[in-house]
Amino acid sequence: MSLSHVVIAPMLVALVTAIVTLLTRSRPTLQGGLSLLGVVGYAVAVAVLVGDVLSETVLTYQLSNWAAPFGITLVADALSAFMLVLAAVVSLAALAFSVIYVNSYGQRVSYHPLFHFMLVGVTGSFLTGDIFNLFVWFEVMLMPSYVFVVFYSGKAHTSAALKYTVLNLIGSAVMLVAIGGLYSTTGTLNMADMTRRLLAAEEYGIDPAPVLGLAALLFAVFALKAGIVPFQFWVPEAYSAAPAPITAVLAGVTKKVGVYAIIRLYFTVFAAATLPEGLGLPGLSGTSFLAFFGPVMFLMALGSIFLGGFGAVSRPDLDGVFAYSSIGQVGFIVLPLAVGATVPAVRSLAIVAALVYSLNHAIAKSLLFLVSGTVDDAVGAITFDDIGGLTGEMPVLSAGFFVGSLALIGIPPLTGFFGKLLVFQVASDATIAGGNGATLALAAALAGAILTIAYLSRAWKEGFWGETTGAVEGATATPGLVAVVVGLATLLVVVGVGFDPVYQVANAAADAALARTDYVRAVGLEVSS
Amino acid sequence: MQPNQTVLLAVLALPFLGAAVTPLVYRALGERTAYFAAAIAGGCLLLIASQASTHGSVTLPWIPSLGVSLSLYVDGLALLIGFLASGVGVLIFTYSGGYMHDEPGQMKYYATLQAFMGSMLGVAFAADLVALFLFWELTSVASFLLIGHYRSEESSKYAARKSMLITVAGGLFMLIGFLVLHGVAADAIGTATFRLVGSENSMLAHADEIQEALRSAGLLVPVLLLIGIGAAAKSAQVPLHIWLPNAMEAPTPVSAFLHSATMVKAGVYLVGRFRPLLLTDEWMILFATLGLVTMTVTAMLAIAASDIKELLAYSTASHLGLIVAGYGLSNVYGAETGAFHIVNHALFKAALFLVAGIVAHEAGTRAIDELGGLRHDLPVTAAVTVVAALGMAGVPPFNGFYSKELLFEATYEVALHDGGVWWLLPVVAVFGSVFTFLYSIRFLMLFFGEKPHELGEVHSPPAIMLAPPVVLGVLAGVVGLGGVTSTFGVHLTPLTDFVTRVVESSVAHGGGHEIHFGYHLPTKLKPAVVMSAITIGVGLVAYPFFDHLRDGVRTLRSVPLLSPNFYYDTGTEALDETEFVTTHLQTGLLRTYATALVLAVSAMTLGAYAAAGANLPAFTGVGLALPLVLVLLVAIVGAFAVTGAPSHVAGVLTLSILGFMVAIFYILASAPDLALTQLVVETLVLVLFLLVLDKLPAFYGEPSRLRSARDGLVSVVVGATVFTTVLLSTKATPNDVIAEFLAKRAGVPSEHGTYLLDWGGGGNIVNVILVDFRAFDTMGEISVVAMAALSVVTILAMRERGEVQ
Repeated sequence: MSLSHVVIAPMLVALVTAIVTLLTRSRPTLQGGLSLLGVVGYAVAVAVLVGDVLSETVLTYQLSNWAAPFGITLVADALSAFMLVLAAVVSLAALAFSVIYVNSYGQRVSYHPLFHFMLVGVTGSFLTGDIFNLFVWFEVMLMPSYVFVVFYSGKAHTSAALKYTVLNLIGSAVMLVAIGGLYSTTGTLNMADMTRRLLAAEEYGIDPAPVLGLAALLFAVFALKAGIVPFQFWVPEAYSAAPAPITAVLAGVTKKVGVYAIIRLYFTVFAAATLPEGLGLPGLSGTSFLAFFGPVMFLMALGSIFLGGFGAVSRPDLDGVFAYSSIGQVGFIVLPLAVGATVPAVRSLAIVAALVYSLNHAIAKSLLFLVSGTVDDAVGAITFDDIGGLTGEMPVLSAGFFVGSLALIGIPPLTGFFGKLLVFQVASDATIAGGNGATLALAAALAGAILTIAYLSRAWKEGFWGETTGAVEGATATPGLVAVVVGLATLLVVVGVGFDPVYQVANAAADAALARTDYVRAVGLEVSS
Repeated sequence: MQPNQTVLLAVLALPFLGAAVTPLVYRALGERTAYFAAAIAGGCLLLIASQASTHGSVTLPWIPSLGVSLSLYVDGLALLIGFLASGVGVLIFTYSGGYMHDEPGQMKYYATLQAFMGSMLGVAFAADLVALFLFWELTSVASFLLIGHYRSEESSKYAARKSMLITVAGGLFMLIGFLVLHGVAADAIGTATFRLVGSENSMLAHADEIQEALRSAGLLVPVLLLIGIGAAAKSAQVPLHIWLPNAMEAPTPVSAFLHSATMVKAGVYLVGRFRPLLLTDEWMILFATLGLVTMTVTAMLAIAASDIKELLAYSTASHLGLIVAGYGLSNVYGAETGAFHIVNHALFKAALFLVAGIVAHEAGTRAIDELGGLRHDLPVTAAVTVVAALGMAGVPPFNGFYSKELLFEATYEVALHDGGVWWLLPVVAVFGSVFTFLYSIRFLMLFFGEKPHELGEVHSPPAIMLAPPVVLGVLAGVVGLGGVTSTFGVHLTPLTDFVTRVVESSVAHGGGHEIHFGYHLPTKLKPAVVMSAITIGVGLVAYPFFDHLRDGVRTLRSVPLLSPNFYYDTGTEALDETEFVTTHLQTGLLRTYATALVLAVSAMTLGAYAAAGANLPAFTGVGLALPLVLVLLVAIVGAFAVTGAPSHVAGVLTLSILGFMVAIFYILASAPDLALTQLVVETLVLVLFLLVLDKLPAFYGEPSRLRSARDGLVSVVVGATVFTTVLLSTKATPNDVIAEFLAKRAGVPSEHGTYLLDWGGGGNIVNVILVDFRAFDTMGEISVVAMAALSVVTILAMRERGEVQ
């Protein structure tokens, strides 16, 4: 057990930046500069932490120096590290974009502090090893997002924010009930402690049956965060309402918090439990908790892929296409997890696939929302009726959109190709291994991928090709905004071409997610054998 | 001799580098960038030629953790495609220098075309399936951009998207096929490999084991279908051929290069490459059928064409069908058909496309009915067309004749050997070839007969546009002459030796006998000769009735249900106008969203309790004191009363009854601190509600009975979920709960000692938990409160200013 202060560094940097930018509201230039400095500092802190994690495996930090499970523990392993990198990359791009894009009045009022508070919540969620503490960081992450959705305060924004807030408040209540229930059925809040207790349930006097139900209750919350069908309702309106760089963060990062929580809690923690009598509903079999969540996630993934795909293909504007696309793409992230939960032979690969897909979606979808923001900024419209012929007026921005689209479609050598390759590989390996439903998963992934081509090719031909519309004629994209887009597009190429190290980290993350005894021991607890 | 790694890499890198610097070059050279690109292609051609005598592979690591490498393999088939891509590339870029004069978007055009050439060379030489897929998809992307060259034309946009949807989607099928092979290889040869060819552990080196493993897993047919769909999409096989005629929206050099000579060859290349790995009875049924059906159907469609490029597009699909059919047949003639016809088709078809470009450019129209008698104005072009079109028709002694003879021979052999329905093969081959003959002659007749009066003056093309088709025509002529001379014992050995190597690539290793490819005019009356004679004879008889045949095919074509285009158009239109999601699911109504949310939560949770077999504790009577029971009963009554409240205010007031009862419950349950909190919160919320409600309209909707019933049901389900959860949670009695640790150290009673005071700095257990044990939570919650305040500020401030971005 090693106490490592660096674990808390990213959170502290973000928190201090939030406070400092709150205090410098009267000096807008200083405020913006500090905010940018803060996000760079955040990226540096994450880089240092990730470097340490990759060389020393699991790092922990016991807050107030109370030993687990009595205090709150932060745990940084390869899985957390992977997600933190994703968060750092997207927030860096989003904030750089914001400084130019968001009107100066809005920036001064609250934009910067809220942005960094959101980052605190995200980071806390990735690092915490305590489920109640996870609830707290979820709240810290949600609060600013409520404000951001309503930020422009128009009619559509208010309506979107109302729905977003109400649905997420229901989610918070559900989360609280589930966490309370988990505490009273397992006797702990610490994830590592819960893991070892579930491993030896009888010894700790735990009846696993209600724990499964509570885990299912909690699952709904993460599905709501990730915007998985049938918990996707808030996504399209909220994404259209929030300022473009915030939507980039919502789609790129906070959605992935839900994905992370699913991997962490269901593959590391709850997978430790077994039901001695097995599952007793028709269509379900097996003794592992994952045998229940596999089919559940499978249905959710199918629903997401098709609702997102069919929704995106008919939207009349860029944001609509991208928002529905986000629902569909999260389906692609959950699909391998579903297959991996059902077929143990491909479980590790399944997590790798979900992570790589998440990484690509984070970068590519942020890029696309930033493109939409840039177009809106230059043209004043993002509906296909009003834009057209963008390739002529804004060739570089259009190229950025093209690269982002190809990455989502999965064209090699972009990052997205490897996401798609791995998702397909999980399903095809599971098919060869004779896994239930694996062939269906393969067919669904294929159909979903074709839908992706359909909606992105439509967006390209409607918005970027075609006759130059009056609004587009003579419009120029702000160079700084285009630079951010180009940066992300370059990243998609670089990560794809130099994919080997990325794969290795994702693989280490998957191993970390499944190495539950190592996780428990790293937190300083004994595993009874 | 082993190929040189540096040279091969240079072959792949050169076009991409060329594409990358094209913006700079274009700035300096302008339209003469064409010659820069031609030089790049020429460089590639020379580099490939320098490796012509080599055989083997080179490997570069790419993603070792995934077992993916950038390995390149040189053999006859790879060299053939490599020569086509670079050689035809030189001619196309040169031709573009004339054709693209004064056209828009040239910089993009040359950059994309060079990147395409690099991708095509990658397809040719890649020995790793992932690397192959990489270049494969890049050719599709380049094709998409080039088809959409005239970006404001509706037809270009339609065509580009269609080609993208079909070829990229086809590629995904193929990718899954590759992945299944990859997974099966793990069982068959011990390691899961993506290596197709050129190493000891490659799939081709273990073809028999892989076939066996696929067959026993029941995956042989799926893999054949998956790879077949990929190849069929790329090589425009029926019914996926529909994108190719539309692709003619691209500038003509692109049509000649991508959509005739090279990119569409990727599919047949794939078939030729996989042939030794997967050649089985199932293979023959699939590919021979696919090829012959495509050959026949698209030849018929070519007759119905009204535009010369459309005719050539269908003709291309038809000849690709011929090649696929050749590779599909299991005897060696089949492989020879495939290999030799790739060569012949590239020569005559690229020449004809360039001819079509000249005609369109100089005559100003591409409509078949408006053209005729062009030989007077375009004599050289006419000469090229004679050689190329007769080669396409399969008339001896022109080049296409020999490869078609091979197809006839191959189909006849199969029929003779296997009998039964296989006799359909030679029949269909002849039937389809009759149409090929017909449309070839029709194309040729553009140059003969009367020149229509409406056709204005036709200038001769610039030399730069004339030279490339002449080169191709001469090469096609030489191949044809080679057949004549070898009849008299003078063989065109460089060509036959090369084709022999190409054939070897598609024949299973260890097949025993060596391959000696040769071709010549028939010297005795073999069945294939008879079949050729029938083709040409019937064709000659039928040609006078060409217009009738054309109208007949057009009538058939216009039956929607028979046309794949009908399905494509209906499908994409329906897709683009899908309203189901927004009208039925994303309704914009919070009521729908919340209902779906709570029902989904309940279903999942109750389902999990049921699946795990969780048992509710038995009811053992009410063990609570009477006051508690009364308080709770009042709370329940309050809850029910809320549902019947006549106004906002009444509802809120009734709700507060519930809240205050909970507070009293806390008092009775000895939790005064909780009770105080609850009372404060309840009071504040009540005041806030009343203040806000005062501003809201008093209207309080009249819900229908149905809706009330539905909402009632939903609330019962949610109640049941929470009720069950609470019962199950409170029933549990795990050991060593964290609370025990803390309670044992609490300041009261005093025998617990001063642990909390010493280590936590306080005596009240709740306080110490909040500010020490779980201080981190508290900090987070304080942030939330701070942000809540900030959010109020934001909403108030932005309400005035937010709309202005």
